[in-house]
Amino acid sequence: MQLAAEGHAHAFEVVFDRHGGIAFSLAYRMCGRRAMAEDVAQEAFLALWRSAGRYDASRGSVRSWVLSAVHNRAIDALRRGIVRDRRQLDDEGAAERVADARSTDGEVLRREEARTVRSALRELPSEQQQVIELAYFGGFTHSQIAELLQLPVGTVKGRMRLGLGKMRIELDRGAGAAV
Amino acid sequence: MSPREDGPPRSDCGADVGAYVLGALEHEEARAFRAHMDSCVVCREEAAALRAAVEALPLSAPQLKAPRTLRRRVFSELRPQQGRARHPARKRVAARVRLRPAAALAGALAVAAAAIGVVVGSSGSSTRVIRASVVARDASAVVSLSHGSAQLIIHGMPPPPPGKVYEVWLKRGASAPAATDALFSVTAHGDAAVVVPGDLHAVNEVLVTPERIGGSRVPTHAPVILARLS
Repeated sequence: MQLAAEGHAHAFEVVFDRHGGIAFSLAYRMCGRRAMAEDVAQEAFLALWRSAGRYDASRGSVRSWVLSAVHNRAIDALRRGIVRDRRQLDDEGAAERVADARSTDGEVLRREEARTVRSALRELPSEQQQVIELAYFGGFTHSQIAELLQLPVGTVKGRMRLGLGKMRIELDRGAGAAV
Repeated sequence: MSPREDGPPRSDCGADVGAYVLGALEHEEARAFRAHMDSCVVCREEAAALRAAVEALPLSAPQLKAPRTLRRRVFSELRPQQGRARHPARKRVAARVRLRPAAALAGALAVAAAAIGVVVGSSGSSTRVIRASVVARDASAVVSLSHGSAQLIIHGMPPPPPGKVYEVWLKRGASAPAATDALFSVTAHGDAAVVVPGDLHAVNEVLVTPERIGGSRVPTHAPVILARLS
């Protein structure tokens, strides 16, 4: 990161190669369209490149830093409204799954981690999973979710808190089992 | 004594913590909660714990490889800078150069947004026709407004994905889209004419999303059609 912060693009390529897949996966999950996901991920990486000097390892991993940038930009894009896509890209099959025979070790590890997280999310009662996914991937605020689901705001916030708490316990258990 | 016993009662202080770490509080609420955490170790610790779960959420998405086009797009912007250390005297110029892609993207989005919902025929008539933004290539859609009722007319639209139908939603102000009972598919030529149900008072957007058969109460996909009425 130090080299990237000093303006060396080849160092930033390492960051991209390590985290570009998960960054694009998050953008694609949130935007639902390849072209918009690429725009969001590109904008996030360029912003990270510009602000690489501000990266502080004591505040979190590089992956968290990258994903936070992608998440924020995807929410901005979703809240701006949909964008007519004039580019002629084929969405179907365009995004290559990590589950590819030529996957690297890093990708295999990511797939394993992904399985653990999905399992932790699936273990939640569906109403807790729903509010967490609407908030994180949909970019909805708690009051919008309350309105969508016709629930009191306090119930929505309570489900978010309970669901995340349980998920964290499940993830810790998964990490413990892996050791 | 547990950390929680040091702080205010749980019912008074931690209610917002889940929404906060998910980024689901309104700006003012988030600011107030941050200020509260400055003096509340209980909430600070709970937020840090829950954040670990939030940071794992991206991994619940299907894991894909970054497309080669994305890599090319990012690094074609960086290459002119390669090997050039960030000298303080150059910083301002470099920042301006690097800002261009983002500014260009923002500009493109703004242009696209401006193109959404163009009134294509209204003068001298009680019918207002509004062109909608459509994601599908070569498809088009308009909303025809007449005497307080609206019809969505679609041409060249691909059929919804297998096991899905299209669902019409009405959005009022900053509220989340409200479901309607208008569920539809398209003809073999991709055509459809759908009466937009419900009260259109204060509706500023009509949206269409693909949803499961029978419809959804909450949109589960990004809109494929969006018409701005105001």
